[in-house]
Amino acid sequence: MLGALLLLSVVAWYFQPPTTVAGKTILIRVSDNNPLRQAQVDLFNKLNPTLQMELDPSDNGVDKVIVQSMGGVGPDLFDSFSPLQLSAYVQSDIAMDMTHELKKRGIDITKDCFKGMMSTCIYQGRVYGVPTNIAADGIWFHRDLLRAAGIPDHKGPWTWAEFIPIAQKLTKRDANGKPLCYGFYFDWWNFPHFLKGFGAHIYSPDGTKCVLDSPESIAAVQLMHDLVYKYKVSSSPVEEASMSTAGGFGSGSVSVFAEKHAATALGGRWWLAQLRDYKGLETGVMESPYGTVRDFHAYGRCTLVNKEGHNIQDAIKGLLYMAGPEYNNLVNDQADGICAFIKYTKSKQFLFNPKYPKETDNAIWLDIAAHSSGDETSPFISGQVVNDMITEQLDLVKADQKSPLDAMHDVAAEVNQQIQKNLQEDPALMDKYKAATRP
Amino acid sequence: MRTRAAKLAPLGFLAPNLLGFLVFTAWPVVYSLIASFSNWNLQKTVSSRFVGVQNYAEIFGDSKFWLSFVNTAYLMLGIPVSIALSLWVAILLNRKMPGNATLKALLFLPSVTSGVAIMILWKALYNPDFGPINSAIEGIFHWFGLNTHGPQWLLSTQNPLSLDVEKVGLAHKQFGVGARDALNIMGIWGAIGGTNMLLYLAGLTNVPEELLEAAQLDGAGKMALFWRITWPQLAPTTFFIVIMSIIGGLQGGFETAKVMTNGGPAGTTTTMAFYIYKKAFEEYRIGYASAVSWILFAFVLGFTLLNWKFGNRGENLA
Repeated sequence: MLGALLLLSVVAWYFQPPTTVAGKTILIRVSDNNPLRQAQVDLFNKLNPTLQMELDPSDNGVDKVIVQSMGGVGPDLFDSFSPLQLSAYVQSDIAMDMTHELKKRGIDITKDCFKGMMSTCIYQGRVYGVPTNIAADGIWFHRDLLRAAGIPDHKGPWTWAEFIPIAQKLTKRDANGKPLCYGFYFDWWNFPHFLKGFGAHIYSPDGTKCVLDSPESIAAVQLMHDLVYKYKVSSSPVEEASMSTAGGFGSGSVSVFAEKHAATALGGRWWLAQLRDYKGLETGVMESPYGTVRDFHAYGRCTLVNKEGHNIQDAIKGLLYMAGPEYNNLVNDQADGICAFIKYTKSKQFLFNPKYPKETDNAIWLDIAAHSSGDETSPFISGQVVNDMITEQLDLVKADQKSPLDAMHDVAAEVNQQIQKNLQEDPALMDKYKAATRP
Repeated sequence: MRTRAAKLAPLGFLAPNLLGFLVFTAWPVVYSLIASFSNWNLQKTVSSRFVGVQNYAEIFGDSKFWLSFVNTAYLMLGIPVSIALSLWVAILLNRKMPGNATLKALLFLPSVTSGVAIMILWKALYNPDFGPINSAIEGIFHWFGLNTHGPQWLLSTQNPLSLDVEKVGLAHKQFGVGARDALNIMGIWGAIGGTNMLLYLAGLTNVPEELLEAAQLDGAGKMALFWRITWPQLAPTTFFIVIMSIIGGLQGGFETAKVMTNGGPAGTTTTMAFYIYKKAFEEYRIGYASAVSWILFAFVLGFTLLNWKFGNRGENLA
């Protein structure tokens, strides 16, 4: 058996794909299956004639990247979409620590980038990558529908209490009560947006405890529930159930909004990449309402270098490209969210792009991004496990099978129980926990 | 007397396949058994060590695993329905009638169409607000003067058996129609005209005409002909279909969960296969996932043996 394995390994080694083609070094970049990404890769190849970056969307996914990297065939560059993904990459010893490398080249992401992206790039004080875009959601609206309902555009900060009567006015149903157009559409995976608007947190500041049973968290989830069942302005989105096949988080919601099944919807600037394909739409953007705290949920991509990669120096060049003007201006132009480097959002070209004269809301997007913060993590539990636990409870709230109060109490108890179990299994983690909880 | 070379020749011919089997099937299977007794985690912060039967003990107290087992069993409820409908369609198509070949091709179409494409299509059909299924249901309700909305389908945790969502048991508030039923309906739709129908068509051609004619001469009616002649003659085919369907059912549900529901709502479409995937590649607990895989294997083996012992009685009669 071992002999056969050895023989096949030799054969596989002999036939392994070339690392250079026509004198160019090949860099494999794993990212989502998005046409915008290909244009970003093409620009890199144009600027770096000795390198050939190749996009590999089919291997996108934390599991695939980790398993392939451990087998020595991982990509050179890959994306982390959240702090929980970053922690998985770091804990699997796949992500390369870029703290010194970036500092050496004068890049300080803590100062240069929106703070909302910090938790997706920084893990336990170390910088692992460069944020390659940012999204923070606002309220998309159809100007014509608002006009028809006699509702003026809203400018500046406002609260859910101010917004809900407007959403009710915009909700249209037929004589049988069947919805024709919802007043407001949102994705339940975007629950952190609601939590932040009420000043709620997932963990205590030291990460030792889940605090989703706080009054703030319950109020946030209660609002999500009430938008569907009390105010009846929102649908329980069915499109969010599976993201990968639909082309990314929330892309189904873009269609719902674009097809005017909803008059307003919670979404990011990245929706534009799809909305531009719909002819004749008159859309606008308002800041999202909040509960008690004007804080919005930031999310986006952070590109990382594979520690086990074969072309680390060239991969770093790829990373630096994503911190440079060409890439960031392209991101802004494509509406692939907003570029994460603040200085590239200051240009007139971004605020009033002559290519898209009707898009006059970029200043609003910037304001939302500036008031956003990223996801929370705890070193004592996997973010994926917590996310699954929250999702299962929210599914019950969404289906009106459980009250927000019970759901949030149960999820906090479940997460805290899992933290204690993890501590029992890992003595090093227990030491860390004791250090964190020592008075 | 055969020479040594003649004796070795068959082995030589078998070697490429055997080598592939040993390296890519047998070895991973053995390795997963070894892994099931370890705490192997893809995250390197946890060092791998032998943990004995700890994973197996944990599985028995893991309510999520048992819920995934219940989900798997529930999704297998569609199997007898799909088998019965496949047989019915096969009997209809076994008659000589115009357009027979076209009908067969149309019915087989879902089996040769991309599964992901079909699942995305069904997702749109199941949209509770704007989907055609609910539009039709609500249209019928309104025609009868009832102002009732259709089911929430993929969003709903409800089921006609009132199975609870958070623990193995019953809960009256769960009575209704939900995601699991939606997947069952889709599964039945896809299976009716699939390989089961083809197997039954092949089986029907093997039913001796003289037996049927003799029974008809003796005055047997259509039902008697079916139950006394056709059904026993089809017993070997049915036995094979049932075994394969049960094995497939126990291992199934991964694609639909991945594409349509992500295992939700509230884990109601997380089958054992999807649970293994989640444990291995979302939580990185390869050791634990390997143990779940071996439990699943035990279930498959157990059901197959039971079926073998009790399910082939009809075949023996035939």
